[in-house]
Amino acid sequence: MKPIKPIKKTVAGRFPRDKIYYIFFSLAVILTGLFVSNSYYLQVLTFIGINSILALSLNMLMGYAGQVSLGHAAFYGIGAYTTAILTVHYNLSPWLALPCAIFIAIFVAFLVGIPTLKLTGFYLGMGTLGFGMIVNIIFREWTDLTGGASGFVGIPSLELGPVSFYSMRNYFYLVWAALLLSIIVCKRLVNSRIGRALRSIHDSAHAAEAVGINTRNLKIQVFVLSAAFAALAGFLYAHLVSFISPGSFDFMMSVRIVTMVVIGGMASIWGSLLGASLLTLLPEWLHAFSDFEMVVYGLILMLIMIVLPQGLTKGLIDIYERSKKKDNS
Amino acid sequence: MNVQRKKTTAKFPLLKIESVYKAFGGVQALLDVSFDVEKGFIVGLIGPNGAGKTTLFNLIAGVYSPGRGRIIFDRADINKKKIYELVTCGISRTFQNVELFESMTVIENVMVGQHVITKCGFLGAISSLPWILKEERKAKEEAMELLAFVGLDKYADKKSSDLPFGWQRLLEIARALASKPKLLLLDEPAAGLNAVETRQLGELLKKILNRGVTMILVEHDMSLTMEISDKIVVLDQGEILAVGTPREIQSNEAVMTAYLGK
Amino acid sequence: MQEILQYIFSGITNGAIYAIIAVGFSLLYNSTEIINFAHGEFVMIGALSLVTLWGSFHLPLPLAFVLTIVVVSGTGLLFERFAIRTVKKPDHIVLVIITVGASIFLRGIAMLIWGKDAYSIPPFSSNPPIDIAGARLLIQSIWIIVISLLSVVALYFFYNKTLTGKAIRACAINKKAAWLTGIPSGKMVMLSFVLSIGMGAVAGLIIAPITMCSYDMGTMLGLKGFCAAMLGGLGSLWGALIGGFILGILEAMGVGFVSSSLKDAIAFVLLLLILFIRPGGIIQSKDVQRF
Repeated sequence: MKPIKPIKKTVAGRFPRDKIYYIFFSLAVILTGLFVSNSYYLQVLTFIGINSILALSLNMLMGYAGQVSLGHAAFYGIGAYTTAILTVHYNLSPWLALPCAIFIAIFVAFLVGIPTLKLTGFYLGMGTLGFGMIVNIIFREWTDLTGGASGFVGIPSLELGPVSFYSMRNYFYLVWAALLLSIIVCKRLVNSRIGRALRSIHDSAHAAEAVGINTRNLKIQVFVLSAAFAALAGFLYAHLVSFISPGSFDFMMSVRIVTMVVIGGMASIWGSLLGASLLTLLPEWLHAFSDFEMVVYGLILMLIMIVLPQGLTKGLIDIYERSKKKDNS
Repeated sequence: MNVQRKKTTAKFPLLKIESVYKAFGGVQALLDVSFDVEKGFIVGLIGPNGAGKTTLFNLIAGVYSPGRGRIIFDRADINKKKIYELVTCGISRTFQNVELFESMTVIENVMVGQHVITKCGFLGAISSLPWILKEERKAKEEAMELLAFVGLDKYADKKSSDLPFGWQRLLEIARALASKPKLLLLDEPAAGLNAVETRQLGELLKKILNRGVTMILVEHDMSLTMEISDKIVVLDQGEILAVGTPREIQSNEAVMTAYLGK
Repeated sequence: MQEILQYIFSGITNGAIYAIIAVGFSLLYNSTEIINFAHGEFVMIGALSLVTLWGSFHLPLPLAFVLTIVVVSGTGLLFERFAIRTVKKPDHIVLVIITVGASIFLRGIAMLIWGKDAYSIPPFSSNPPIDIAGARLLIQSIWIIVISLLSVVALYFFYNKTLTGKAIRACAINKKAAWLTGIPSGKMVMLSFVLSIGMGAVAGLIIAPITMCSYDMGTMLGLKGFCAAMLGGLGSLWGALIGGFILGILEAMGVGFVSSSLKDAIAFVLLLLILFIRPGGIIQSKDVQRF
């Protein structure tokens, strides 16, 4: 038997440390909002926030519970289109449209989740892919309701009493506040009984059942949760850009969300932030390449996955530790 | 031995196997098997390869349901129960090849084992209300206590896959105990352990018995089985060959023939 | 009646194309368990290569055929060598992202070479359509059906009658055991890639005359071919063929009798249905366990 160094500190809670992170995070957001005045940068940062919520939501499903989804953009789209339709066609206040959007996403996720989550591994990926494609086709073809392929125009911007979120800075704060909230929710979940049960499904569905976890129910629950967050991201997106089209919620978007999670690092909450930032910034940087944009984007995706398949966070930590070991020996 | 006499006086057996039959396609794995497991016993399930031990074990653990016959646990029929429902009823198991949650720490593994005796759900976790935090704290304390019980409390924050194999087995037992089972099913707990570890395991199983947990044990290690079991069920070719105390089994001629051949 | 026959003709034509794309997916999945999301892009490159070689350079058709297949398979070879073999941790999800990355990359390359315009080329032969019970059957449709059936039959013989084909199958069943008997499994994987992508090239060749060819035509074709493969039973040659034809015909019927806006949805509804009812597909591969 290999001797193992015993650890003294055992029951030390990780909650206080999280609180410090949250405070740092809030400070960083507030300072960024104060010092960045260029509205283009603020807009990019806002997109990073929205994409982080998306990545986070998928990470709960994929990174923690180990259930791959290649159709996550569908829920993002459902959130965006629901609020668009309700606020424009039915003149509903956006703040009332938000719960409706989330509720519809939850409802759809529940209906779809029951048969789909019976599938495992690869087949689950394919099932979610099919679902995502069908939802996207509905966005494109139900022209009366969604505006069809040419898109949905004129989604109102958000207002809350005297505060108008038409200003990019305010919207930035709104999105990042929503992101912080999402992070707190996910962190709490991950470190709870539910989070442990989710991770146990990922490690061994077999053993999870044997300790009394109803894996089917739990998978559906986390699928629903992740759909709800995706719908929140969709809501924020729709009211930010005021124009949405099916192209923003297609198969490529689903893959982009998966890529954010994988590049950031599966089962890593701060990693999702990193992955989302990278995949949001990359196309912005690549605009400079104009016609070569797609080529370079594809190449970078492949390279990261070839070199650091476990994601940037874990991959870089590994490289760092290896180099440290070399220095020591 | 006299301890055992006293135990048999309990009126209802904890687990009652009633004429259970199971076939896979054309292969009959179990033919009409019946026996009782009394409360507070360690029952050893032995037999040559292919005798149907694993099938029987999996039937009790809910992996399969019997083709015919009934399995009654705590006076309730558990034939149709799902695997995860059995844990709520009070049946817990370990795996022959040790199935831990490898990405988790040692203590987290035990805490997953407490799934059915804790309540916090999605909303509870998100809200982190005082009673949830209290439950979490209490769960952690109990998990630590269980780790101390199997002797792994010093390694609570280690990743479970970093433990040596023998300790992983102990951890798996601690995880199985975390749901406070009435019946613990052990699938070859000594497989892959060396002589010292096997002896320690035997001690541990006796300690578990003192906590009031009944056990069923499928095991190849005869000396361990004979030493700790109160009752032994010998299976051969899907049928019960003999039931009795270790001493009775050791002197049973049919058993000798089945094991050694004529 | 005449209408139905017309729909069936167009369904079979499209079905043959889906079938041959599906065969490409199945071949590769069988020996490597990889789903190549860039497969559609190889179809696109095949079609556009033919546009250039035959349509612009006016090479003889057979030569253009061979050159196209060589070019596309060569690209596939490079893809396997540099993008797939170099992966350190061949997880499903990592491979999915790599092949999607490759598909974006290939689309970008195609856009650089051919621009964003759509091209069309004339059918392979200029005979007038045949009239069958009032329905018109294009000669190009016959070309498409014959070529795709021939390719599948050729593949069948290759896999069942030749030593190399058997070696690939052995690798698919058990890589290590095959390696122990002296089969170079790495080379077999490479060969599977070349064959699979070669099938993509063939699909591109036969589809070019009946559609507008542009750099972004591949993605949807690839996904639908994939649906056909799942429908028939991923990993099975005949399954791919059956899945392709069923998808093609149902799509034509759906467009004809319901609405053309349904066209793209049918493939994915079928995909979901088959996953929920019979995940192994119509022709269930014997060892579904593996998948």
